[in-house]
Amino acid sequence: MTQLLDNIGMALGTLRANPLRSLLTLLGIVIGAGTVVAMMSLTEGLREKVTTDFAMLGPGTFQVQKFPAPGSFARRDWRKYEQRRPLTRDQGEGVRGLPHVKLVSIEEYPNRPEVVSTREKKTKQNVDVGGVLPDYLEANGVTIAEGRFITDGDVELGRRVVVLGPDVADLLFPGRSPLGEEVRLRGTPFEVIGVGERQGSVLGLKSKDGWAVMPWTSYEIAFGRNANNNVAIVATSPADIQKAIDEVVTTLRRLRGLSPGDENDFDYFTNESATETLDQLIAMIGAATFGVCALALLVGGIGIMNIMLVSVTERTREIGVRKALGARRRRILIQFLFEAVTLSALGGLFGVLLGAGLAVGAREVFSVPASVPAWAVLLSLFTACGAGLLFGIYPAARASRLDPVEAMRTE
Amino acid sequence: MGDPLISIDRLARHYSVGGEVVRALDGVSFDIQAGEWVAIVGQSGSGKSTLMNLLGCLDTATSGTYRLNGADVETLSDDQLADLRNKEIGFIFQTFQLLPRASALANVELPLVYRGISRKERRATAEQALRSVGLGNRMHHRPNELSGGQRQRVAIARALVGDPSLLLADEPTGNLDSQTGEEIIRLFGDLNARGHTIILVTHEPKLAARCPRAIKLMDGRVLGDGPGAEVAALQGPRAVGT
Repeated sequence: MTQLLDNIGMALGTLRANPLRSLLTLLGIVIGAGTVVAMMSLTEGLREKVTTDFAMLGPGTFQVQKFPAPGSFARRDWRKYEQRRPLTRDQGEGVRGLPHVKLVSIEEYPNRPEVVSTREKKTKQNVDVGGVLPDYLEANGVTIAEGRFITDGDVELGRRVVVLGPDVADLLFPGRSPLGEEVRLRGTPFEVIGVGERQGSVLGLKSKDGWAVMPWTSYEIAFGRNANNNVAIVATSPADIQKAIDEVVTTLRRLRGLSPGDENDFDYFTNESATETLDQLIAMIGAATFGVCALALLVGGIGIMNIMLVSVTERTREIGVRKALGARRRRILIQFLFEAVTLSALGGLFGVLLGAGLAVGAREVFSVPASVPAWAVLLSLFTACGAGLLFGIYPAARASRLDPVEAMRTE
Repeated sequence: MGDPLISIDRLARHYSVGGEVVRALDGVSFDIQAGEWVAIVGQSGSGKSTLMNLLGCLDTATSGTYRLNGADVETLSDDQLADLRNKEIGFIFQTFQLLPRASALANVELPLVYRGISRKERRATAEQALRSVGLGNRMHHRPNELSGGQRQRVAIARALVGDPSLLLADEPTGNLDSQTGEEIIRLFGDLNARGHTIILVTHEPKLAARCPRAIKLMDGRVLGDGPGAEVAALQGPRAVGT
């Protein structure tokens, strides 16, 4: 214990004696550790954000469609999917009533965003419009802020009613309730019966609140029939989702007349599988960052080695005196190792503070997603200390091997 | 009289310099009893520094034996030598060899640090050692805030603090003016009177003459060994500068 305190005391003493030099030496480690923490915080933040922002389905829900999940790499093969037969409304109805299927939301979309207008105002052509069933609400995790959602009666009677996303409602009816007002889609008038709760945006880029849905029956009046549908299926419970998927896939294969050897001519995804590729991408960014940081720490370590060699040379006489007065080799070795590790640990600490500060600053100022993970902080500190230890060995060994007589003779 | 504190027998130290063997020390034998004050005197090149390094366990001999307080120094490992230096020898150097960044007190504590003594105890012991050389009021000064004489006193306190069996002083007055040097020599007299064994290595015959015993070296051999005043005056057969 006494020895530990002595070593720490000596190491800090050296730092105090050369504060500027120590600081400059530390920069490598500071930057290395800082980058690790900053980058890890940003990727971690991104990961968390991706999981929430890209969640477009409600819990325990999966979606079946002709095309692969949005964001999936498989979408490069567009033509192949284009040629698949449409997923029809009848097929969607065909999976209703399976043992682990609670709700089936059949959704019909136009090929591109639409314009919603009133007599005075209109939106840009950026509103996602859909013809839906009442089950849409739960399957897509939407809640109603004002008014009501579409009912079975609306669908059966083909009522021209529409539920608006909050962005659309705010734009067309600033400062007042849109309930009971009329909007037009492709020239067809619809009555606003409800407004959805605000959901925010995807990574701060694309709003999730620019939509308008109506009963599919009246949708087809305005937009015509689109034979292809997306089908979102809510399992009886989130735990049953895999069973529900199996049932739905089997049933759809039969309804679409596939032979046992054929591959599925439709795709399905859950929230988890939809963000999988993004997660992989983020993991790759993380790995690349890690490589860069390892390099930075290597450079930092070399800096430590350099300064320790200088320190040993400068203090040759001191080492000689210490050895003459009875310091064993190991004692000198440990003293200098301790110094190297203290130096690098300090650098690691500054780095962590800097990195975390940058990440949090970026979040506060530019509202970039960032969250500082504890493991990144520990990792930085450990690797910084490790670099100090590794690169401190050679200078320390050199110090410990000095001959006391020779060492005391140097000026 | 019991076993001598120091017993060296045909001690030799040869260096090889550029393929040539230099016999820095070439078969030296003598005993020193506990409580003696002995000068080792000789001109530069006589081998006295080599002998001093051997006596101080800083170097090992090429041949011959050296017993210090019952230990066969030749057989010891590096670590054992370090421990021996720590316990048995108090060094006093011509250039003081104080750590520049440490206070007088911290410098004096140093030998105790390597003995694993607790901070509190070693502080108390070091304070006492500093007081015993008259520096009770300079403990927290750094070496560069002290005069030459004071620095050498700090070094003496450091040599004394571990209560070694031998004080080994290498030209202790070499860097001091004559008056300060005189004070240091008187301090050695006091320490010897209190029972400390002192070996004083010097090139000055005048200094050697004041020691009760002197051993004069020339060309790596003993030229004379006896009362300081007599031995200091000896002139070698091939004395330089005649």
